[in-house]
Amino acid sequence: MTERRPLLLRPAAPALLVVALAIALVVPRTDALRLGAADAVPVERWNAALDALPAEATVLVAHDPDLGTYAEIRPTVRIALADLMARDARLAFVSLTPEGRALLVAELARLERGVVNPARMLDLGFVPGAEAALVSLASGPKVPAGAEGLIARNLATQGTGAIDALLVVGGNDLGPRSWIEQFTPRVGDLPVLAITPTVLLPEIQPYLDSGQLDAALTTPRDGAAYREAVTLGSLERLREPVEPSALGVLVGLLVAIVVLGQGWGARVLTPLGGASREHEHT
Amino acid sequence: MNGLFGAETVDLVATWVAALVTIVVLGGLLGERRLFGWSQHLLAGLATGFLALIAVTEVIVPRLVAPIADGGADRLELWLGLALVGATAGAPWLPRIVSAVPISLVIGSLAAFALGGAVIGTVLPQLVAATSVDGGDTASLATGAVAAGITGLVLVGFLHGVPRGRVLTAASSAGRWLLVAGIGGWLGYLLLSRLVLLLDRIGFLLGDWLGVGR
Repeated sequence: MTERRPLLLRPAAPALLVVALAIALVVPRTDALRLGAADAVPVERWNAALDALPAEATVLVAHDPDLGTYAEIRPTVRIALADLMARDARLAFVSLTPEGRALLVAELARLERGVVNPARMLDLGFVPGAEAALVSLASGPKVPAGAEGLIARNLATQGTGAIDALLVVGGNDLGPRSWIEQFTPRVGDLPVLAITPTVLLPEIQPYLDSGQLDAALTTPRDGAAYREAVTLGSLERLREPVEPSALGVLVGLLVAIVVLGQGWGARVLTPLGGASREHEHT
Repeated sequence: MNGLFGAETVDLVATWVAALVTIVVLGGLLGERRLFGWSQHLLAGLATGFLALIAVTEVIVPRLVAPIADGGADRLELWLGLALVGATAGAPWLPRIVSAVPISLVIGSLAAFALGGAVIGTVLPQLVAATSVDGGDTASLATGAVAAGITGLVLVGFLHGVPRGRVLTAASSAGRWLLVAGIGGWLGYLLLSRLVLLLDRIGFLLGDWLGVGR
C-alpha cells in the first residue's frame, strides 16, 4: 500500500505567489498592460460632474471605506481630493464608521503633511448612529466646537444649504446606497459622486443608470484612467509615486484561475481516473 | 506609498512596525500560525481600543457630558442619553429588562430608518427609472424584462414548504443557480480587491521598507 506524500508545491505555493507578485511589481511597466486604458465614459462623466460645480464649491466628503478594500481605491481617493482642492473646492469630511474614521485620520494627516491649505478643510469628525446619523446630517451637519473658518461658518448658518456636492468614499456598510437612501431625498437636488471598490459595482450601477448618482469611479481601471487624465498643478506632490501594477493584478488573477480550475479539474478527472483503474483491474 | 511621507524617526519606526507586522501576516500563508494569531489579537485589540476611544472622545464627552457640564443640566434628553450609555455599559450586571432597552432602541431605529430609506431612496426611484418608457429603446426594455425575470426566479428559489409542481420546481432550481452565480460574481469582485490589497502590501515592503524601485 502506498501513501500519497503531500507535494512540496502545496506549502510553497503561497510563497511562490508572493515572489511572483513581487517580481511583477519590479518588472518595468509597458503600455501593453496599462490599467488606465479603460472605457472613457466613467471618467468623462466624473469630470463633467466636477466641472459643473460652482466656483469654490463646498463638498461634503463622506469617508467610510473598508480596510480590506481601501488599497484598491486609495490612489484614486487621494487624487480626487487633490483634484477638488486644485479646483479651489472646500472639503468638509465626515465618517459614520469607526473604520472609516481611522482611515480618514490617516488621510487628513497626509494632507496636512502635504501642506494643503488648512482653511479649505474641515473635519466634522465621527457621527455615530448609522442610518440615523445620516438623517441627522441631512438636517444640518453639527460643526465641532471651536471650529473656525468659512466652511464652519457656512455650515453653521446655512446647514446643508452650504453643501454644493457630496463625495462618498465607500466600501463599508454605509456607502453610496445609504447616502442616496437617507441623505439626498431629504436635502433636495445635490450632485452625488462616489469612489468605491469593484465589489460595490453591482450595487452602484442602478443608481448611476437612474441618475441618482451623478458619477462614480468603481473599478481599478476607471481609477487609473482618471489619475492619468488629471493634472494637479502645485498639488502633484499629493500623487502616489508608484501606480498599481497591472502585471501584478494579471499574475494574481491567473493564479486564482489556476487554483479554481484545479478544483474543477480534480473533480472532473477523479471519476475518469477511477473508471480507468477499474477497467485495468477487470 | 502608504502616506508616511517623512524621514523622521517616528516615520521610520512606523514603517518598520508596519513592515514587521505585514511579514508576520504573510508568514501565516506559509504556516506560521502562532505569530499570525498574535497579530490577529493585536488587530482586534487595536480595533476595540480605537472604538472605545472615539466613543468616549467624539461621542460621549462632547455630545453628552460637555453639554451637561456647560449648563445643560435641565435638558432631559441628555440625561436620558447618559442613562442609556450607563445601561449599555452595565448590561452584564443589570436586569435584562433594563439592559435590553438601549439595544432594542438601536435595532428598532436602524430597522425603521433602513426600511423607510430603502423605499424612498431605492425602490420608488428605481421603479420609476425602470418603468419609464419615454425615450427607452428596445434594448433597455429587454434588459428590464430580463432583470424582472431573474428577480422573479430568485425569489421563487426561496420558496420552502410550498407544494410544487414540475414548473415551479424547475423555476425554483433555476432561481437558486442564478443566486449562486450572483454570489460567484460577487466573490470574483472581492477576489480582485483582496489581490490589490496583497499587491499593495508587497509593494509597501519592496518600496517603502526596502526602497526597491524608489
